[in-house]
Amino acid sequence: MKANGDGRRIGFYICHCGSNIAATVDVAAVANHVAGLSGVAVSRHYAFMCSQPGQDMIARDIREERLDRVVVAACSPMMHELTFRNACQGAGLNRYLFQMANVREQCAWVHADRPAATEKAKSLARAAVARVAHQRPLEAATIPVNPDTLVIGGGIAGIQAALDLAEAGREVWLVERESTIGGNMARFDKTFPTLDCASCILTPKMVSVGHRKNVHILTQSQVEQVSGFAGSFEARVRKKARYVSDQCTACQECEKVCPVEVPNAFDLLLKKRKAIHKAFPQAVPNTYLIDKQERPPCREACPIGQEAAGYVALIGQGRFAEAAELIRMRNPLPVVCGRVCYHPCEAECNRGFVDEPVAIQHLKRFALDWQEKHSGGIPAPPPPTERRPEKVAIVGSGPAGLACAHDLATRGYRPTVFERDVVLGGMLALGIPRYRLPRERLLQDIDFIRRMGVEFRTGVEVGRDVTIGQLRKEGYKAFFVAAGAHVGVPLDVPGERLAGVMQGVEFLRRHALGIPPAVGRNVAVVGGGNTAVDAARTVLREGAEHVTILYRRTRAEMPAVEHEIADAEAEGVRFAYLRAPLEVLGEDGRVSGLRCVEMELGEPDASGRRRPVPVPGSEHTLSFDTVLVAIGQSPDLSLLGGEGLKLDRRGTLEANGETFATSVPGVFGGGDVVFGPATVIAAMGAGKRAAEAIDKYLRGEPLTDFHTHAVPTQIRRGESFRPHPYAPPYTQTPKRPRQAMPKLPAPDRAQGWEEVELGFTEEQAVAEAQRCLHCGVCVDCYQCVKACQPGAVDHAMKDEVLDLKVGQVLVTTGYDLFDPRRMAQYGYGRLDNVVTSLEFERMLASTGPTGGRLALKNGEEPRAVAIVHCVGSRDENYHRYCSRVCCMYALKFAHLVHDRTRAAVYEFYIDMRAYGKGYEEFYGRVLAEGVNVIRGKVAEVFAAPDAPPGEGHLIVRAEDTLLGKQREIPVDMVILCCALEPAQGIEALRRTLHLSQSPDGFLLERHPKLDPTGTASDGIFVAGCAQGPKDIPDTVAQASAAASRMLGLIARGEIAVDPIKARVEPELCGGCRICNNVCPYNAIRWLEDEKVAEVLDAVCKGCGTCVAACPAGAITGLGFSDEQIYAEIDGLLGTPEAASRVPTTLEARP
Amino acid sequence: MTETRFEPRIVAFLCNWCAYSGADLAGVSRIPSSPCVRAIRVMCTGRIDPGFVLHAFASGADAVLLAGCHPGDCHYSEGNYKCLRRALALRRLLRAFGVEEDRVRLEWISASEAEKFAQVTREMEEAVRRLGPLRLNGGAGPTEGESKESGRAEA
Repeated sequence: MKANGDGRRIGFYICHCGSNIAATVDVAAVANHVAGLSGVAVSRHYAFMCSQPGQDMIARDIREERLDRVVVAACSPMMHELTFRNACQGAGLNRYLFQMANVREQCAWVHADRPAATEKAKSLARAAVARVAHQRPLEAATIPVNPDTLVIGGGIAGIQAALDLAEAGREVWLVERESTIGGNMARFDKTFPTLDCASCILTPKMVSVGHRKNVHILTQSQVEQVSGFAGSFEARVRKKARYVSDQCTACQECEKVCPVEVPNAFDLLLKKRKAIHKAFPQAVPNTYLIDKQERPPCREACPIGQEAAGYVALIGQGRFAEAAELIRMRNPLPVVCGRVCYHPCEAECNRGFVDEPVAIQHLKRFALDWQEKHSGGIPAPPPPTERRPEKVAIVGSGPAGLACAHDLATRGYRPTVFERDVVLGGMLALGIPRYRLPRERLLQDIDFIRRMGVEFRTGVEVGRDVTIGQLRKEGYKAFFVAAGAHVGVPLDVPGERLAGVMQGVEFLRRHALGIPPAVGRNVAVVGGGNTAVDAARTVLREGAEHVTILYRRTRAEMPAVEHEIADAEAEGVRFAYLRAPLEVLGEDGRVSGLRCVEMELGEPDASGRRRPVPVPGSEHTLSFDTVLVAIGQSPDLSLLGGEGLKLDRRGTLEANGETFATSVPGVFGGGDVVFGPATVIAAMGAGKRAAEAIDKYLRGEPLTDFHTHAVPTQIRRGESFRPHPYAPPYTQTPKRPRQAMPKLPAPDRAQGWEEVELGFTEEQAVAEAQRCLHCGVCVDCYQCVKACQPGAVDHAMKDEVLDLKVGQVLVTTGYDLFDPRRMAQYGYGRLDNVVTSLEFERMLASTGPTGGRLALKNGEEPRAVAIVHCVGSRDENYHRYCSRVCCMYALKFAHLVHDRTRAAVYEFYIDMRAYGKGYEEFYGRVLAEGVNVIRGKVAEVFAAPDAPPGEGHLIVRAEDTLLGKQREIPVDMVILCCALEPAQGIEALRRTLHLSQSPDGFLLERHPKLDPTGTASDGIFVAGCAQGPKDIPDTVAQASAAASRMLGLIARGEIAVDPIKARVEPELCGGCRICNNVCPYNAIRWLEDEKVAEVLDAVCKGCGTCVAACPAGAITGLGFSDEQIYAEIDGLLGTPEAASRVPTTLEARP
Repeated sequence: MTETRFEPRIVAFLCNWCAYSGADLAGVSRIPSSPCVRAIRVMCTGRIDPGFVLHAFASGADAVLLAGCHPGDCHYSEGNYKCLRRALALRRLLRAFGVEEDRVRLEWISASEAEKFAQVTREMEEAVRRLGPLRLNGGAGPTEGESKESGRAEA
């Protein structure tokens, strides 16, 4: 080994580290070995190299022996690299001409065989010596430190650090996941050992930090991304919408009117809160918030986005007037919908996972009927907020046209509706029979729209009586074509023109217009949709003796609504399934029957339904005197063709799926005329969207960013097994059957035209509404908006994303409690009155569920309480570590139980750990109070089979290791002192910040003793239980320590940036740009003119990935260059010809 | 030169943030590892040039360990993925040169996985003892019996 170190004067020092290294490694032998290596001028061993004499030795040698490189073989560079670099620099040697060999952590401490360890130490020393010869002086650049700080986690640690930083005049961003700061400490009643009230010492700090101008509290917020360096970080924070602005005065009025109650997570679900709430009375910020989870699926499924869960919740509380008002806010045809809507909401209702969907449609009808009966009829429409002068024409007065007219009127327009027929309502009037939708009910909705300022012109057919062109000349600026689909699709079989054959839709239409066609006594209706059923039930009421519906599939495939089919059956309509007509038979030009064939179901077709195929040889003849055809409808666009409107392939009007704009500017289209026959509510949804599009069009705005609801293709459900995070799973929700709609008795119906469905009674409505599971928690009833005097509630509030620039980051994310369900032997979740320590804290707290009274589930005071230590801690199966606080709070519990009740207390402990100031004294005091302490881990908690009076209902079985015997102690409450675990979500944050964790899952500090608040990443600190379980005094001390560390750097004002970076040699760069793609930081810039890459020092983090990727070897890793690493490999392996392998090009570089 | 007992030489390239810290923790926790494994610290496994591995084999290493952060945990976001890709390509190349697959091992070892680190070193030593010394045909590796024995470097 020669050429490597030629001309160098390297000093080598191996440390004994007392006996830590010297006991296993023959340090003198290593020093001797290194002394013989080329370039080594000095080789020594010494007891403590890191001590002052050790450092002085190096400094003296640098000066006296003219050393130009230094190697220390000692502990890990993580420990003392900085120490020795500083020592070198102090003696005038560039700090980067130093190298460390790790012969303690990675050698002496892990090997027992002294010769083998010595050999390895020699090898590591050789590697360091070989490497250091190739090291070059580097200068660390300094950058200014941003004096602002990000603190993640608003518990006592975060609050303390924020206060310390703010006190020094610095800006702090305090990010908290929950809606209030305070963390777990805010849940406690008293604190050990002084028994201070936790609120009394915490809330003043919370208020203080809330009042600081230079502390910016971001609640309901999470850090999503962090980039940059110590001194200059950029953090992206997502702030969940609160839906209540800071104008909130916390007057509680909103809370009183909110109809939704859920268990409060702050009280560990032991106490209820409203959907609009504050976590606890002293919450900071002192602002309410609305708990909006996923939007309720009923609302999502509704084409108009009706707040179904909202009015259902109000009905459930007997607030019928408010329910009706809420329905009317969004729904242009509320009375109609209450009767004939096909309620897609119910199909998505989560109650269906428990038993049956909530009868949402019937509840809507109930609310509107009630409003009419009890609040003086139909209310007056609200005046529009502004007046728009533009004239808008709507073609067709069906549900689409009416909805569009309604919404345009709400937006301040006074549209004109042109209707071809003499009656208004389109299919609502002409297609839906009166027994389902009484005409006067329909007129209630139409009159309401008329009173909004909408003009109706009946008997005017656009395209024939007047053209769009003419209307333009009259000053109409925009048009909505919603002419419907009124033309029946023919059967396309011989004999269809015989007298007595009629389209079902035409039959219903003429019937509605009061010019009913003559029908016979034995009627066939062909088809399986709603028109077929409506036609069948109508013709039955017209006096037909036999009405038969022929359908080519089975009942399961029928598109008609199930309860309509059932009603038709009840009224006497016959059904012939799997039957298709082949020919209409006639006599004397009149229908005499149908030649039919039987069908069977084959493979599914494009619609997913099984395709019917004829059964060979099954042809037969059925006698009828009338045939009504109801197999489909299509729009009549013959008259509109002249307007230049494009049609699509299905023969419907072509319109954009989102904006509803047709091929002609200013003309929009929607409803059945565009989409083909669909439902009332779908047409209404189209009408509302068209109104928004027309409004945007007339205002000259782009047709994007629509606010009207669009039904998502897949309705999202946050959790598959329960409606929201505080609800029990569907499987554990008690079943309550759906209320049945009272109906006219079937024999009475066929006689006349009275409405068949009679509507819910009040009792029925309330009972039905209370079946709602309140999916989404907030159900959008907007009662809080009305109740809020300062106008702070805003249901449209959006999540915010903030990009913060800070110099340093402190992580204080605290802990979560171990879930004792994992230890089934303790019965938590299975046995009543087995509680966790945090639940017990809430029970003790005056703001908690029992107001501070100790009570069993039945409300009685406990007579004997067991406190079980080490649940999940000090347990090989769960956590090996000690959670450190449990013994002390268990003693606190014992004292408080003793103080507030006369219950006997049994503490089951493994070792009593009372190590802090005043702790042992507190232990003594509690013992003196007469607490029973039993040394032994609890084996089991079980229900006493039949407890004698005066004895507990739970038996705690444990071994008393001091008495050496098994004990079974009857108690009536068991408190489980659960382990502290790393907080949920810490894993994601850890990855975001590129931090490491210790084996226990808590964040890894830089050094367990010398730097317990630092992390391996400069500028990122950790404090409190995020770093490991600790009590409040230690947490506060660590938080303050972290704050002072950060203030130190802020005071210095600048920070040295590690010069370990990549550098491109432009002469060698081939311009392949591979490096551009491998750099995760985009730190490599492509210089177009020079055709070479360049590293941006300020962005490069020095990982070296580009260095390894460069095929031309044009990128050098400063501090980790190829030549250094090749030399290190050679040194490690003791290869004699080490130097010859180093590429000469690299060696030749200046 | 009295004994020619085979002492495997294993070079470990450890990333600064995870594997090297894990190896340090093994020391702090006094978990015995194989003395045959000797570490070279790099900032990131992404820095590991396949040339380093080839050079190590050519210079007499019997096996090479590459260890870095778990996927998703890389201090530099994705350097470990780069290493993974290179390691896979390198293995195929080495196979073509007759180097057994067990001689190159890639492991994800976090800063808390001291036990895993120690375990991997012990397994590698065992594997190499089973395979015997690496012999590269006409390669630059040291000749048998000369530099593969303990105490050789003191010459």
